[in-house]
Amino acid sequence: MNLDLGGPGEGCSAMRVRRLLAGELSGVEKERVEAHVAGCARCAAVQDEIAAEREALRRDVPFPVFAAGVAEKLAEKPRRSWAGRWAPLAAAASVAIIAGAGLMMRPQAGESPEGREHSKGGVSARLFVQDATGVHRLDADEPLALGARLLLEVSPAGHKQMAALLLETGETSIVYSGPAVDGTLPQAFDWTGKGVATLLVVLSDTPIDAAKIRSAKEAPRGTDVLQVRLHR
Amino acid sequence: MTAGGLRVLAGGRAGEAAAPGSPAPAGLVAELYEKYAAAVYGRCRYLLKDDAEARDALQDVFVKVLRSLQGFRAAASPSTWILRIATHHCLNLLRARKALWREQLKLMRKDGQQRVESPDRRELVRVVLAAAPEEAQEVAVLYFVDELTQAEIAQELGRSLPTVRKRLREFLACAREALGVDLVDGGAGVPPATGAGRRPEHPEGSDL
Repeated sequence: MNLDLGGPGEGCSAMRVRRLLAGELSGVEKERVEAHVAGCARCAAVQDEIAAEREALRRDVPFPVFAAGVAEKLAEKPRRSWAGRWAPLAAAASVAIIAGAGLMMRPQAGESPEGREHSKGGVSARLFVQDATGVHRLDADEPLALGARLLLEVSPAGHKQMAALLLETGETSIVYSGPAVDGTLPQAFDWTGKGVATLLVVLSDTPIDAAKIRSAKEAPRGTDVLQVRLHR
Repeated sequence: MTAGGLRVLAGGRAGEAAAPGSPAPAGLVAELYEKYAAAVYGRCRYLLKDDAEARDALQDVFVKVLRSLQGFRAAASPSTWILRIATHHCLNLLRARKALWREQLKLMRKDGQQRVESPDRRELVRVVLAAAPEEAQEVAVLYFVDELTQAEIAQELGRSLPTVRKRLREFLACAREALGVDLVDGGAGVPPATGAGRRPEHPEGSDL
């Protein structure tokens, strides 16, 4: 027995018909595909198939059901964050930023001895970078390219509140302030400044007034503070 | 949000994307549903052969899309981009139940030896995917199901044309081996077109 597995034909392509119907074609390409489809039995069959798919969707998954299901799944935390997928690359250096030169943890002056010992388990944070070369953990003293996206991963070690701030000369920007996040922050950020900046992560058991923090020294007593130096 | 030297990008890797735990804009979800959900649902039903699984997979695919909106907006062909996500998702699900998938292949081979008429070609492709190397599976779906040309596949995947040809050859070799039958072209390349309006893809399709 001989079998035919199919494949594209000359001028015939199921995807081209899909793109035409989805309004993704324009200009000469659109005109050419429209002219071909109008006289092609095979492409007409594809159009019938697409129409049948639409019927099946509306019958089996009407929009309210679809939207509710997507919203529910979207509210779930992803099983593995993008940072988590890349973390194995840095497995040998998977200690948190407290271990990195230039990426250090800085206990506050006057902090209680218990706080320095991190009796709840060590707080830690890591910064991941996405640039033209891909995604990687920010290395100590690694210069940041303009346009690189940054995502902060935090292990709050039981702390309930946290704030992340970007400190530049004469200017402070709040990256995040609210309940402590165990994992990656929901938002990435892009440092658009020049020279040097510091990313300050403050972890506390009580609410933090991030707007009042202009430097590591201004972090409330009893908090754990992490600092990451950024530079171009 | 912009403040000083800081620009916050919702959704992290994806830039303007739905962050975990945050709702997606209703208008965007409706637009995605209208334009692409039917094709994705069709792909999920085709590959998974289970309507309940397909419904679940449909929603999973769009969650991925909403979390990668930058990729969606940057795609030269959003339809191709979304269907690739759907194909990839379903192939992963099928790999997780490989034993059942391979059993279907055995049944088709047994059935084929007694059959006079050719079975549906896309069903053949689906079942043969179980026997093909992972790298060849997506290329096979793009070629035999979505009917992209080899050049279009190379562009879509960011691979060279010889690599795409190599993957298709691997797939065809698996098809011959798994089904124990000849392919229409006698094994020299991608099967030539048959039926209404069918003609060979283009010259590079003949040298597989």
